[in-house]
Amino acid sequence: MKPVFLASALLATVLTGAAIAQSGAPIKLANVAELSGGGATVGTNWKNGIDLAIEEINSKGGVLGRKLEVTHADSQSNPGVARAQVQKALDAEPYVLLGPGYSGSVKVTAPLAAEAGIAQIMGGEAAELTTTGNKFLFRTSFGQQSSMPKVAKYINDELKAKSVAIVWVNNDFGKGGRDSISKEFAKYNIKVAADLSTEAGQADFAADVSKIKAAAPDAVFVYVNEEESARILKELKRQGITVPLVGETTLVGQKVVELAGDAANGARGHVGLTTDAPVELIKAFRDKFVKKYNYVPDHNGLKGWLAIYMIKATTEKMGKVDSKGFADALHGFTITAAKEPGILMDATFDANGDIDRQGFLVEIVEGKQVVKQVLPKLGN
Amino acid sequence: MTAAKTLKIGFGIVVIAALIIVPMNFNRYGLFILSQWAVMTIAAMGLNLTLGYAGQVSLAQGAFVGIGAYTAAIMTSSGLPLIGALGVAIVLCFAIGWILGYPALRVQHHYLAFVTLAFSTLAFLVFRNEDWLTKGIYGISNIPRPEIFGYPTRRPLPFYYVCLGSLGIVSLAVWWLIRSPWGRAFIALRENPVRALSLGIDTRRYTLMAFAIGSALGGVAGTLYAPLTQYVDPVPFHLSLSLDLLMMVIVGGSGFFFGPFLGAMIAVLLPEWLRFTQGYYLMLYAIAVILLLIYSPTGILGILDRYISERRTKAASALRAVAKAKLETAP
Repeated sequence: MKPVFLASALLATVLTGAAIAQSGAPIKLANVAELSGGGATVGTNWKNGIDLAIEEINSKGGVLGRKLEVTHADSQSNPGVARAQVQKALDAEPYVLLGPGYSGSVKVTAPLAAEAGIAQIMGGEAAELTTTGNKFLFRTSFGQQSSMPKVAKYINDELKAKSVAIVWVNNDFGKGGRDSISKEFAKYNIKVAADLSTEAGQADFAADVSKIKAAAPDAVFVYVNEEESARILKELKRQGITVPLVGETTLVGQKVVELAGDAANGARGHVGLTTDAPVELIKAFRDKFVKKYNYVPDHNGLKGWLAIYMIKATTEKMGKVDSKGFADALHGFTITAAKEPGILMDATFDANGDIDRQGFLVEIVEGKQVVKQVLPKLGN
Repeated sequence: MTAAKTLKIGFGIVVIAALIIVPMNFNRYGLFILSQWAVMTIAAMGLNLTLGYAGQVSLAQGAFVGIGAYTAAIMTSSGLPLIGALGVAIVLCFAIGWILGYPALRVQHHYLAFVTLAFSTLAFLVFRNEDWLTKGIYGISNIPRPEIFGYPTRRPLPFYYVCLGSLGIVSLAVWWLIRSPWGRAFIALRENPVRALSLGIDTRRYTLMAFAIGSALGGVAGTLYAPLTQYVDPVPFHLSLSLDLLMMVIVGGSGFFFGPFLGAMIAVLLPEWLRFTQGYYLMLYAIAVILLLIYSPTGILGILDRYISERRTKAASALRAVAKAKLETAP
């Protein structure tokens, strides 16, 4: 009698143990990002955002009672390496693939994730990424095809500019933005007075600015990275250019204000994601991030954070951890901040994986980002 | 002597068999890394010819890989076969390499490095700015993988065999080349150009030839790189690739036939093995390379070479000692 009882007790323990292990096993995510090379700032912000979100979710009991676990791999900002790392990540069959941030690296890895049937939540902003019919790719921020029309509309309606000088950084990010906005300008019959390509990491903008001066445009559209934005703002001020300076997230960020000082005043732009947004949840996120990492994140930090909360919300909607069903569940899904505060602002994902959410038009006034206009979600 | 030779051949056969058989149950990631190794070895072999054998420092090998990659990407994307692209890439890189070789007739060492560095930057700017041809910074995606004798190589394993087979063919060709009068002329050029000239070697022609053949091999590597990653953009072919290749040649052992094989292994595989250290892997990799080059400036094969020649010297001095002893004890 006794042995039988012991055996059954043992069996029961083993079985429940197994059941707990099964439901309690961590959900594995894989991140491939630009942790070294030219995109190191992008990738590191993205990674830290992810880690922060996972830490918070796990401390509150995880997703459906299971903890999240992520592996980070460095793509060295090189598409070839990104491909190898994504392949490695996919071989381990993650629940969802995160990254990369560079559009070129996304282009080379997206077909692999689609082939494996695993959803990929990435940081790339190039317009064409979501136009190929890939059913597994999701953005965490506006693509240029949705942010540039808003900028162009603002330049036309509010500034009434008839000619604009475009300054862009010659990489896939800058070129994509320049191509998108040029198309929009053509619609409004706005003349491109000067079309200036600059290098990533460029230090001296004197020549570019004197060309702008010579072209005498009604406004200048600046689409370069944060540090270069600060440098060109200083140069524009030095050469006495007073026409409105318009840009995107990278022109009006906190980092630009810090670097450019006074010269940043008056710069304005459209911002999809900013840690300076007048949204309480975003301010709280920013505080948490600064507390942990000791620096103010850029929009890539927000993107990494949002990617994890997209996973949480979608999984909870499905009610199960189903890698195959994930992409379908996220298409057409609206995540509201009321229900899932981690998403920070209501966001809807369409059938292409594009995101729709509030945007802001901001202006730098006395070293502070001031929101001039809140652009509502399109599909409201 | 013959025993050593059999041992060498036996070892060679084991390595080749392992390269064919072991990857059969590798996952896609392992196959991709191995294919990358094969491709980079081909490019490094070309540079080894230029640098190791003919003694011309070149920082343009990455640009030639780029030229090859873009040739393959542009031609195969418009439906032409990869083998045709290979032919075009070889001819193109050979011709450009030949022209680039002209400064090598006038400048040497680091001055030559600067000339080739300028070319490398020029090539990058062409890849990036000539949108009509190269699609600029957006790059060319969805590059098809070829069919070899009607057999598709879309899967990772068949394409690995394409890379390995190409490496085999290139290795045989280079093996033959460095044992031909040309190869000897290259070495003469490296060791003492003045003496080579006085012996009737046309140093001018051979310098150009070394550049051109080395560049053409870069082109071959490029034509494999494009279908391997199935995407090309200008960034990977910037100066860093040329420096990487230069490092592969030097770390492996410049002027040794097997140098590039080992060098590419270090450059491609070592960082992957070190990835478990997370953020430190590139630092550890750099330290490993620095330590290796401090210990043996002639690379990995330099260590082996030193060991073998030390043993030979020891054996020879032992023989001499015996002979001397015999002489002294002779009546």
